[in-house]
This record gives sequence, C-alpha cells and structure tokens, in this order.
Amino acid sequence: MYEPSAIAGLVVTAVLTAGLYALMSYGLALVYGVMKIINLAHAGTMMLSAFVVLTLNRALHLDPILGAVVSAAVFFLLGMALIVTPYTFSTVDIADVKIAVSRLIPFGVSLVALGGLTWFLRATDLGKAIRAVSQNAMSARLVGVRSERVATIAFGLGSALSAFAGGLLTLLFSFNPDFGGTFQLKSFAIIVLGGLESLPGVALGAVVLAVVESFSILIPGWRGSLINLLAFSILVAALVLLPGGIASVLERRGKTE
Amino acid sequence: MRLRQPSLWAPIALVVLLAVFPALFPDELNYIGLGFLTFIFVTLAVSWNMVGGYAGQVSFGYAAFFGTAAYVTAILWSRYQWEPVLTLPLAGLAAVVVSLVVGLPCFRLLGPYFSIATIGIGEAARVLALNLDQVTGGASGLNLPLSVPSKPWFYWSGLALAVVAVSVSAWMRASRVGLGLFALRMDQDAAESVGVNSTVYKNIAHSSSAFLVGIAAGLYVVYFSYVHPNQVFGFDLSIGMVLMGVIGGVGTLWGPVLGAAIYYPIRQLLLSQSNLVAFNLLVYGGLLIAIILFEPGGLLGLIRRLARR
Repeated sequence: MYEPSAIAGLVVTAVLTAGLYALMSYGLALVYGVMKIINLAHAGTMMLSAFVVLTLNRALHLDPILGAVVSAAVFFLLGMALIVTPYTFSTVDIADVKIAVSRLIPFGVSLVALGGLTWFLRATDLGKAIRAVSQNAMSARLVGVRSERVATIAFGLGSALSAFAGGLLTLLFSFNPDFGGTFQLKSFAIIVLGGLESLPGVALGAVVLAVVESFSILIPGWRGSLINLLAFSILVAALVLLPGGIASVLERRGKTE
Repeated sequence: MRLRQPSLWAPIALVVLLAVFPALFPDELNYIGLGFLTFIFVTLAVSWNMVGGYAGQVSFGYAAFFGTAAYVTAILWSRYQWEPVLTLPLAGLAAVVVSLVVGLPCFRLLGPYFSIATIGIGEAARVLALNLDQVTGGASGLNLPLSVPSKPWFYWSGLALAVVAVSVSAWMRASRVGLGLFALRMDQDAAESVGVNSTVYKNIAHSSSAFLVGIAAGLYVVYFSYVHPNQVFGFDLSIGMVLMGVIGGVGTLWGPVLGAAIYYPIRQLLLSQSNLVAFNLLVYGGLLIAIILFEPGGLLGLIRRLARR
C-alpha cells in the first residue's frame, strides 16, 4: 500500500528529528536533575536564540550553524520570520531515500553535542559532580561538592544547550516569538517519557516522539495541523500512566522475568 | 436573618454601589461593558482559586472548561435557536464533565506535575477545537446571532454571577471540603491519614469551579456574539486566571477578586493603546516575578502587612 522508500523516508526523517528533539530536551533534563526545577523559561531561551541566529544571519551573513554556536549570550527581539538558507532545499540521495540536508546537519551537530555532553558528564570532575548532585544533593554536599556552584553551572549549561537547539531549529522549522510553548511541551513530553533525569531516557523519549509524529501522516483523515496534539497527549498520558518513564517499565519487566 | 458578622457589611455595600451604577449612569456604556467583563474575570479568578489556592494545585488548563462551555452555548444558541440564558446551565454542566475527565486522572499527580499535565490538556483542547471545523468553525470561528440583551442586563448578570462565585468560595472555605483542601495542601499524606479523601475533595473543588467558569464562558460568548477557538481555548486565558490569583493573593477569599479587578481593566487599557499592546505581557511577566520574589501573598498580603505596622 505504501512505497517502501516512502516508509524508509519517514523513518529517516523521524530519526533525524529525534536528534534535535533530544538536544533540546537534554538541557531541561539536566536542570531538572540537578536543581529539581522545571525550567519554564527553557523554550524562551530557544526562541531568543533562534532570533539571535536569524539576526546574525541577516546582518553578518553568518552561517546558521556557526550562529547557533555563537548565540548563547546575545539577545534581540524581532518580529515574525521564516528563515530560508542555502540548506533549506538541498537534499542528499541515499538508496532512493531523499534526505534533506536541513535535517541532516542539525542531526549530525546534535549527535556531536550529545556525545560531548555525555563525555563531559562521565569523564570530567565537574560532570561527575553534576551527576552526584542530581542523584542526591545532600550526600553530594557531604562529600565536599559545592552543590550551589554546581547548580549554577548546570543551569548555565542547560540554557546553553537549549540556545544551541534553538539555533539549529532555525534550519528546520519556521518560528515566531510565540513558538516556545509548543516546544516547551514537546520537551516536557520527551523528558517525562525518558523518566525526567536519565539522559539515555531522554534520547529514547525523543525517538519515540519523533517516530510517532512522522508516522502520524499514515493515519487516515489525519491533518498536519493536528501534529502537536500528539505531543500533548503523550505528555499527559506519560505523566499519568508512566511516572517513571519508559525506562522504569523496561526495568520492571526485567526484574519480574 | 440577622447579619451577625460585621465583615459582611462592606461587601454588601460594595455590591449595592456597583449594582446602582448602570441605573445612575445609563449612558456610560463603555464602563458598563468594562464592568461586565471585569465581573466575568472576577468569577474566573475566584473559581480558579478553589483549586489553585485552596487545594494548592495550580492548574494551567482552565481554558479547556471555558472553551467547551463557550461552544456549548454558542452551538445551542445559533444552531438550535435556544434562548441564550437557558444554555448557561448546560454550558456549566459541560464544563463539569470536562473537569471530571481532566481531574480523575490528573489529580493522581501533585504539584508541578499536575501543572504540566494541565498545560498539555489545555493546549490539546485548543488544537482539537481548531481542527474540528464542522463543530467549532475552526480557525474562522463562529458568528452568533446579533440579537443580544442590553449592556446593563449583562452588567447585572455578571455582577450576580460574581457574587455567587464569591459566596460559593466563602462557603467552601468554611466548610468541611475547604478544611480538607487546606489540610491536603499542607501535607497530603498527613491529611489522607486522618481521613481526608484527597481525590474526592479535589474533584469537588475542581467541578464546582468548572461549573462557575462554564456559566461565565456562556455569558461571555453571548456578549461578544462571536466565538473563536484561540480566544476561548487560549493559553493566555489560563495564564490570566493564574495571574489574577497571584496578583491578588492565592488561597484567600478576596485576593482573586482584587487581582481580577486590577488585572482586567489594566489589560484593557494596555490593549486599547496601540503603542502599548506589546507591553501587555511584559507588564504581567514583570509583575509576576516581582510578586513571587517579594510578596508571595500578593496584594492582599501586602495590604495586610502594611495594616499590621
């Protein structure tokens, strides 16, 4: 009924979107883990960053990816805009599957960023301190971690990650000063699916959301404007039914077997 | 019945003063309209406060009740030629049904998790309403009949509704339900252990407030003769209810009334000045941060602190 290549295309799109989704949710999960604060300003940072990138691109013709790297600090407020760059309409063909470069690049960059983040959290002292505080702030304090300082750094890192995601987002989606709410809720849905604090869980949640969104077009009578309904429904269902995230269900399975 | 509590005289005097205003100044239609809408927002704020204040469960999803009720009134009125006033109880009941559908699963969640779930529900309801064109008119909205009652009629109905809302809120505070809500706000486990059924109590508060919000929504659409998903299901409506509570004083009886009486007229003023429109949200964002940082009790808390000096 459907061309295999079309299905393959959907899978590829889903995976590539998942990379960006994971990146935008890591910051939220990091801040939640360390400070137990749900950062409602998360999407605001993304929005501002998207506009910083747009401004840099317009004023200095700066490449959006470089712009995303630069944008963590500056901010401007601009009107509604749609960014069209050389990346927008170019594609790469791999075995009959067209892959949009505008998705491939954020995916690759996201992977690099996620890899860097994982390395940072596992290998460096500061990363270990962040993980210690997110597991148990009191115990971390007892062994000499300055949890206040760690929290400050984690918040900065979380904001930088969301700004980075916001910058990359300019390549994929149209954006306006109000777009934050949707992405905020999508990030929530992802981290709730992932179990709030675990970074591998976040990646899993991102894949689940992206796959569901991409494949929703196969539902008869579906329309693209209903797509956000999916993320919102997943969010509510996951909060109510899976308070520990997907990972906790898998763990429970493993224990009972 | 004799009024024993002296504190009742001031509110009664206020209501009488407000009630005679359209009779004394029948030409001030702008103020009469502003008064009606302020009463609607007082009702919303007071109702929201039953769950957000008394039970301490901050909901960002009240637009789902408002929107559903608004559409019940709009559709019964425009397609089935009901008298608008007769649709109001049904609008309220529709909101109650939605509140139970939302409340039964979501009250298993506490604190911020409840809040996030309600954001998701409110936004999901809006997206759904935008896409159900056959029912809601979708993104073009629904035009309703223009034969509406006079502005003073709306003013008095709105005032009556606000008085009912404040009375329900006052009764709830003093009743078993209110005491149970206060107890579970402070410590749900402790409250449960002395026999407060938190799910039942929260759902009672939730559905009573939804009923009042539903009636307010019905009056609101009759007044405007127009209904659009982004207007009646809008996230800013849900945020507005939270803001009015926070500005006035969350969990108090008169705080939300004060909050709404300040919030709504200022909002209208800012929206009517074309060069100030963009500042509308900025003003509220700033106000919210300032209040939460410096005076978590809201304006009522501030007044009480000054009075004690």
